[in-house]
Amino acid sequence: MSAPALWIFFPIALGGLLSLLRNQKLITLVAGIVCAFLAITALLLPIDTPLAVQALTFKLAPSFELLGRRLTLTNSDRAWLALLYGGSAFWFMAASSIKIARRLIPFGMAITGFLVAALAVEPFLYAALLIETAVLLAIPLLSPPDKKPGKGILRFLIYQTIAMPFILFSGWLLAGIEANPGDLMLVARSATLLGLGFALLLAVFPFYTWIPLLTEEAHPYVAGFILWIFPTVTMFFGLGFLDRYAWLRDAAVLPSILTTVGVLMIFTGGLLAFFQRHLGRMMGYAVIAETGFSLLGLGLGGSYGLNTFLLLCIPRVIGLALWSLALSNLLEHAPSLTLDNLKGAGRIWSFSSTGAILASLSLAGAPMLASFPAHQAIWDGLARQSLAATTWVFLGSLGLAISAIRVLTALASAPEGSPWGVRETWSQRVFLLIGWLLLFLLGILPSWAASFWARLPSLFEHLGQ
Amino acid sequence: MLISLPVLFLVLAALALLILRLFRPNFKYPWVVALSGAILAFAGVMLWQVRFPASASLPAWQPLSVFNYIPTWLADGVSWPYALSLTTLAAAIILTSVVRNENAPMPWAGTLLLTALGILAVSAGDPLTLILAWTAIDLAELITMLRSTEGESQNRAVVVAFAIRLVGTGFVIWASAVSSAAHLPMNFDRITSNAGIYLLFASGLRLGVLPLHLPYRKENVLRRGFGTSLRLVSAAASLSVLARIPAGTLDSPWTPFLLALTALPAIYAGWMWLRASDEILGRPFWVLGMAALAVASTLRASPEGSIGWGVALILCGGLVFLYSARQRSILWLPLLGLWGISALPFSPSAAAWTTGNGASWFFLLPFLPAQALLIAGFVRHALHPGETSLESQERWARILYPAGLFLLAASSVLLGLWGWDGSRTFGVWWAAIPVALLAGGAVILALKVLARTQSAISQWGDVLRLDPFYKFLNSIVRFLEGLARFVTTTLEGEGGIFWSILLLVLILSLLSAGGG
Repeated sequence: MSAPALWIFFPIALGGLLSLLRNQKLITLVAGIVCAFLAITALLLPIDTPLAVQALTFKLAPSFELLGRRLTLTNSDRAWLALLYGGSAFWFMAASSIKIARRLIPFGMAITGFLVAALAVEPFLYAALLIETAVLLAIPLLSPPDKKPGKGILRFLIYQTIAMPFILFSGWLLAGIEANPGDLMLVARSATLLGLGFALLLAVFPFYTWIPLLTEEAHPYVAGFILWIFPTVTMFFGLGFLDRYAWLRDAAVLPSILTTVGVLMIFTGGLLAFFQRHLGRMMGYAVIAETGFSLLGLGLGGSYGLNTFLLLCIPRVIGLALWSLALSNLLEHAPSLTLDNLKGAGRIWSFSSTGAILASLSLAGAPMLASFPAHQAIWDGLARQSLAATTWVFLGSLGLAISAIRVLTALASAPEGSPWGVRETWSQRVFLLIGWLLLFLLGILPSWAASFWARLPSLFEHLGQ
Repeated sequence: MLISLPVLFLVLAALALLILRLFRPNFKYPWVVALSGAILAFAGVMLWQVRFPASASLPAWQPLSVFNYIPTWLADGVSWPYALSLTTLAAAIILTSVVRNENAPMPWAGTLLLTALGILAVSAGDPLTLILAWTAIDLAELITMLRSTEGESQNRAVVVAFAIRLVGTGFVIWASAVSSAAHLPMNFDRITSNAGIYLLFASGLRLGVLPLHLPYRKENVLRRGFGTSLRLVSAAASLSVLARIPAGTLDSPWTPFLLALTALPAIYAGWMWLRASDEILGRPFWVLGMAALAVASTLRASPEGSIGWGVALILCGGLVFLYSARQRSILWLPLLGLWGISALPFSPSAAAWTTGNGASWFFLLPFLPAQALLIAGFVRHALHPGETSLESQERWARILYPAGLFLLAASSVLLGLWGWDGSRTFGVWWAAIPVALLAGGAVILALKVLARTQSAISQWGDVLRLDPFYKFLNSIVRFLEGLARFVTTTLEGEGGIFWSILLLVLILSLLSAGGG
């Protein structure tokens, strides 16, 4: 058996099969168990190493050839495989509690499979096509057949599609650089095209306008899933480039570009989140700022930068999943997720309201919550380089925190005599509670998240050394 | 190990109360469990003196290449008096609850847990540990207050209070970043000259002193027991950091200005405390006034002074807030609390007026009337008839209740003599003379005139309301909101993609021009 068959073809095929089922709970159960199994296998099972289980011996082959291209997954890929499938399990398991499993899981499984394939394909320029396939699969997920696609969904499609030729072109140019490394003009052109491609894929400033639009018009849980998996995979895709090409990794200008873009995204994301009145849009801007933090972490360079980037990954998936789940529940109560519509909802939707507040505060970097340790490390690391840049980042974080406080004010503003109650179902309460606990656990003991990365083989050969 | 003992006792007692409530709701002696926890915690804090100073740490945050942080707690001259005051307060709250209608074990469990968090905050050995403890206390207060307040404006006030505390916590994080900029990971042992002022702002903001603000103007929700614990633990957690700011870091041209800014809440709170109709309604002003005096001590480079005011805030405040069942024969107990705030030699506040830097004596003057007003208010509230009469209580309650009050007064006396480096001092004893005269005058004024002219001076409370300032801020926010909406509408509109590309070209051309 080959590793790509297990972590790529199997989930894609399962996604197809699950689309034929109608029972939400069964779909959730199967997808949750399979994703958890794939994550645990990635954690425990070495690739390309013979394993003996009693009389049976088997080996996971690292490569699979398809139409002349190769899909390769090695031991160094196990960490991100575990992250992606563990995160997907986390998302899928809560999906039936908000009755969205039939829509999310089949497409979600297939998207995850294609994105894993994008990270595994060789030559890498085919990754652009696989990412584009995943984007196309995301469209029916974001916009159900009975609903006209909104502006955010169209922009998402446009920006991600425009990114594809940039990546393809840069891939072609990079092949030329490998043959002729002294051609500086070629290097500059290739770097520019690659940068633009990633800027579009990652929704970097000023190409992020589709994110708040998307979170406003799409189902919060689906939007949350898309906004988690695409940037995460794109980041790992980008890190693969940095690991592979020394000229790119060692470019003197790279840290300052990453830092500048990161600061811009955090500041503008935080500032615009501050002025929003729609909880979905606030989540969108928090995602923008979070991508900014990842870029900023990488911009700090060396093992410090890579470690802060990795530290952000787990808190992000928990924070986003909890926030999306909470917003999905609140959407049952109100016609839309505006502050005015949700006034006083905290009294009857206390689990969801608490979840939304904790998740938003966590992504803002509030102490005791999951993202705080990584944000703290980034603030400190950045302050050592530039206190002025830290000020902008701090203002961005403040904007996010104030937007969370505005949500808290609205949810708590119940008229006198309003009764307390819990409207969430038992399953919703359990998932929300798990989310709260994980946020606190990782906020107080971040070493648990760090041990996830430390226990697995090194992700990159050169990066972070 | 000894450091964690009081926290362990308090948490175990609180958990025991919780478990008993869930599985044996008819258990007859939850009060005994609560009191045992508090008394053991008190003894645990006393035991800190066996190995003094000492520290305890948890494993360092991983990975070590990123974090330079080991959660640490200190048992030293700063944390010990605060921890002793907090455990004394917890024990006193439970002892005095016998005369109040507070028989439910959950508020006792809450008091014990809050005290445990308070001890973790006052003994925090580094800013990050302090931040985590502060946030835990803030969340506890937020949840408690939201569960117990009614009405939109009251709920909004609760959220505003939480937000302000969060910003205060942000100042510590910023102080840490400023330290990092100087390539010096922040620790209370080595605070850079730039970072000290931010720590002061953090504490001042959380206490409502810098700048003056008072989110909880109406103290009508949580009454004596748990409410007192909530208010005083929260204040103690913010005050303890003042004593850890090195004097040198605050020696700046801004110090006189900050002292003047601190005098304003001190006098305002003193006056409001004096004229409050009872001690519970005046509680926010007591906290504000005493905290302002503590901040002023720090600004005058006198950490001993700030500890003195902090300890007096907890112990003397606790004494007057818990003094609900009254009788002439035990009036000496609350009046003994006056010792704590008198600034007389060997009292906890004896070092209150010492000055460790070049701050002029002139800046001391506004604080003397503030202290006098706080003393006068204390006397006035102690002389009120009270909620109930002690004579009407059971015999055992008539023993336990004064014992609880005595514990507070005795701790106050003890800490004046054996509290921290710099206690057991004569201090600036002569400053107590004008204060005593002023306080005497204010008491007479309060008892004879104030009751008759309440309505005429009720507007005084509104004089320092910051509503116009908040309205001004609000108008700025509205303007910026309009601007942000214009930008987002443009970028998200039909021509949004082209605007984005144009913006990118503009940025790239600016950057390349800068680079070239």
